[in-house]
Amino acid sequence: MKSCLSLVLVLLTTAVALPRTGAAPAAPDDRSVRQELVQAMLARGAARQQLLAELGESGSRTARDALTAWTREEVYLYTPPGASPVPITLEDQQDADGKSRAFRIDTGAPLHDASGRVLKFTSDDLPSVDVDMRLRSTIQQALDMLSLTDPDPEARKSAIIKLGNSGKLQYVPILEHRLAKEPVGSVRKSIREAVALLRLNSADPKEQIAGCDELGRLESIGARDNLHRLLERANVAPSVRASAKRALHAIDGHVAVVDFFGTLFRGVSLGSILLVVALGLAITFGLMGVINMAHGEMIAVGAYTCYVVQNLFGTGFGFAITLPFSFGGHPISFGLHLPGLNATGWLYQSYFIFALPLSFVSAALVGAALERCVIRFLYRRPLESLLATWGVSLVLQQVFRMVFGANNVQVNSPGWLLGHFTINDVLLGYNRVFVIVFAVAIVIGTSLLLTKTPLGLLIRAVMQNRGMAACMGVRTERVNLLTFAFGSGLAGLAGAFLSQIGNVGPSLGQNYIVDSFMVVVVGGVGSIVGTVWSALGMGTADQILQQVLGSPVMGKIIVLTAVILFLQWKPSGLFATRTRNLD
Amino acid sequence: MFKLLRLPLAAGVLAAAALFATTSRAADKVIKVGVLHSLSGTMAISETSLRDVLLFAFDQINAQGGVMGYKIEPVIVDGASNWPLFAEKAKQLLEQDKVAVVFGCWTSVSRKSVLPVFEKDDGMLFYPVQYEGEELSKNIFYTAEAVNQQAIPAVDYLLQQGKKKFYLVGTDYVYPQTTNLILFKYLQTKGVPVENIGGGLSRDAAGKVISAGKYTPFGWTDYQQIVADIKQFAASGDACVINTINGDSNVPFFKEIVAAGLSPSDCPVVSFSLAEDELRSMPTKDLVGELGCWTYFQSLPTPENKAFLSAWKSWLKTENYAGVVKQKRAVDSPMVLSYDGVYLWKAAVEKAGTFDVDKVRSVLESGEISFNGPGGKITMQPNHHATKNVYIGETRANGQFKILKTFDQVKGEPFLLKHLDEELAQK
Repeated sequence: MKSCLSLVLVLLTTAVALPRTGAAPAAPDDRSVRQELVQAMLARGAARQQLLAELGESGSRTARDALTAWTREEVYLYTPPGASPVPITLEDQQDADGKSRAFRIDTGAPLHDASGRVLKFTSDDLPSVDVDMRLRSTIQQALDMLSLTDPDPEARKSAIIKLGNSGKLQYVPILEHRLAKEPVGSVRKSIREAVALLRLNSADPKEQIAGCDELGRLESIGARDNLHRLLERANVAPSVRASAKRALHAIDGHVAVVDFFGTLFRGVSLGSILLVVALGLAITFGLMGVINMAHGEMIAVGAYTCYVVQNLFGTGFGFAITLPFSFGGHPISFGLHLPGLNATGWLYQSYFIFALPLSFVSAALVGAALERCVIRFLYRRPLESLLATWGVSLVLQQVFRMVFGANNVQVNSPGWLLGHFTINDVLLGYNRVFVIVFAVAIVIGTSLLLTKTPLGLLIRAVMQNRGMAACMGVRTERVNLLTFAFGSGLAGLAGAFLSQIGNVGPSLGQNYIVDSFMVVVVGGVGSIVGTVWSALGMGTADQILQQVLGSPVMGKIIVLTAVILFLQWKPSGLFATRTRNLD
Repeated sequence: MFKLLRLPLAAGVLAAAALFATTSRAADKVIKVGVLHSLSGTMAISETSLRDVLLFAFDQINAQGGVMGYKIEPVIVDGASNWPLFAEKAKQLLEQDKVAVVFGCWTSVSRKSVLPVFEKDDGMLFYPVQYEGEELSKNIFYTAEAVNQQAIPAVDYLLQQGKKKFYLVGTDYVYPQTTNLILFKYLQTKGVPVENIGGGLSRDAAGKVISAGKYTPFGWTDYQQIVADIKQFAASGDACVINTINGDSNVPFFKEIVAAGLSPSDCPVVSFSLAEDELRSMPTKDLVGELGCWTYFQSLPTPENKAFLSAWKSWLKTENYAGVVKQKRAVDSPMVLSYDGVYLWKAAVEKAGTFDVDKVRSVLESGEISFNGPGGKITMQPNHHATKNVYIGETRANGQFKILKTFDQVKGEPFLLKHLDEELAQK
């Protein structure tokens, strides 16, 4: 237990420490950078060149922003009465007159006049710091150097790739110089790649061969275009040609591996989405036998809960409805306004953690109400339950339209669900990894609930034989209610997740209802294991076919045809539940 | 006896009614104008905004004395996102209501559906939404962006920025298919090799390219594979994505783009179907820095635009038409082009001195009718398309665009495929 705790602690501290160590080496003294910038802007000739070269080494974001603004003629000179000119930049934000606040380059603070009033200008009010073709190219060199020392590894990488594709051999020493200092492995790889790419442009065949070999060794996917171009060139030595072909062969092999694992991952992730969406239905339809056409709307309830929670963490949530008919001449209208927490930063980012259980609860409550009001009267009449729940689904969609509007609503993903990491060039999105983990968790949770808890025992008993269970003293009504609410709650959880990868709108549920039924039916009605396998199988098959055929629609058509044929062959699905029921 | 009496009585009543109608018309001097948009169904979300801005334009004109002293009386019909119904409603407007002009349609298919009706009854339609071109009817005036007023300037801008590889992705229907085919040819005339145009090609039996780019159906949600493809395509740098995906499929697409780490600084996405009105219901944080190209942006700092926006806002506060949403409204290019259309028509009518369709048309075809609209000067050309400014903008977190570049007074040109084919054949 103790070791476990300390492991968690270590993980936590590394998580906190990582960004700091990442930024630390490249954080220069902002003050001195600003001084140098001002000097460069006001200087002339050789002094200016010298200062720009120094700035190029600083790795400072401030320097980069200011220099970029300079090349765009967006740095202006403000001359206070009786003093020397001050270089400033103007804010993007404009007031009603089109004026914006000015920021001093030397301090980064807003510009005041002598009495302390904030000064505002339009871009036409002030002369800009002069810049011409030659100076622009000098500044560009400084910017190139700066981008190599950017604190963000991704920014460094993209700058390096740009230099590698520039075809200018003068960058080779600069990059090699940087290689020695670069702390991050993946960036080091990009540098080696860029150097090798530049070498392809050399006139010396030996250099070219060295470049090809290096690219082959690095299995650089981005280099394929350059190698093809090299092969197309007329005056290429046969030995260079051979090594370029070798390198291409190695890279193509690598791409095939990346595609294979990438597709597999995407298949599992799509399968997990299908699984999360269908699991609730596997309970309400699979176990209870209710053809619940409102399952999609339970998903939408979860997604909208997520939206409401997000707004409560932000600026608040409110709605007002005026009903389209009146009562005794008075229009009926009601509304609700909940103030928001106005949270920012990590607190706002954590809204999703709170949204998950709440979306389960809200969908479960709606499900419970649906069971009490409609479904409990229809347990023995599947056709009527189909029609009734379909009606309920239409009503719910209209309620969503009235409360949230007919347009889709904005649900922003929390920062920790955006982004990705790569393992050997296979791209793993955080949101996709999250859905896989999430699916595994809820499948395990559901199966534990069904097999290891007293409630699970009661559920299974009632579902197998309602009459017999009632005779044994099980309160079947209550078990029905709880089971239906649980299934609906699972749909709500699915909705919360779907809000992170797609749209949230009144017709959200409609997009998933067919898929859900298909997964449950193919898996075998009544079998959770069957649902898991059919979801994963369908997801993977879909992605593999998309990859192989190159067309998203054809893949889907083939999967659907396969499902139809499969159900002809095995009408009761993958895992048929054997019962002694006659129906 | 009664039967004998009934006829003259009825005739008398009718005559009286007709007399009353003509006298009341003479007093008010009213001219009927048709508004043909989907106010229900899937397209209602976009098209009701156009109805609103048209009502605004009519109110504005009526407050200033109307058109040649005639007050505009809108006849609003609902196409209900049902294309055959559009044709029926157009027929009703032209034959029953006898409107002088119709402002309407959003989708190309609705325009194609009403086109024969307008040609048969010799009506006049102003069409305001970006479209694929390859059409010219004497009965339609296209204030809409032609492909050379949106897609081509956007590609020019990207080429200027040093982009060398272009990935085409869109929704599978006529506008993206035609636009991408035009771009495929245009890029080749600009010296971009075929292998640098991503998304795949399909050819007919003779080997001629009939479709370029990757397509998904309406409402598609799974963009994993396509974005992985884009990621590999962009690995060599200097790549960009031309996005003609329509509607809410853009949300999963951009979520996937963000998750794959394709940042606008490395591989920008330029979208042709996302304007301010659409951005209202999208998670704009995922789109910051991505590009858009339209002939109007709400953020334009011109005095005409400021005056337009403030008039629009105060109109929203005071109007009491049924079904006009008052909160959180944005203005975008299709709305402004609808608005421009009304004023172009008004200018043409006043110059012609009559509402007669043939005479108004020949005035519009003179190429001298222009209007200083919110998006800048717009002039109707003899080829029924408009000359106007084109803007490239960058999406901001507030759902507005920061304007990066302006192309002044671009002439609308509907038939690009033929020209490009000729140009390619010469090469």
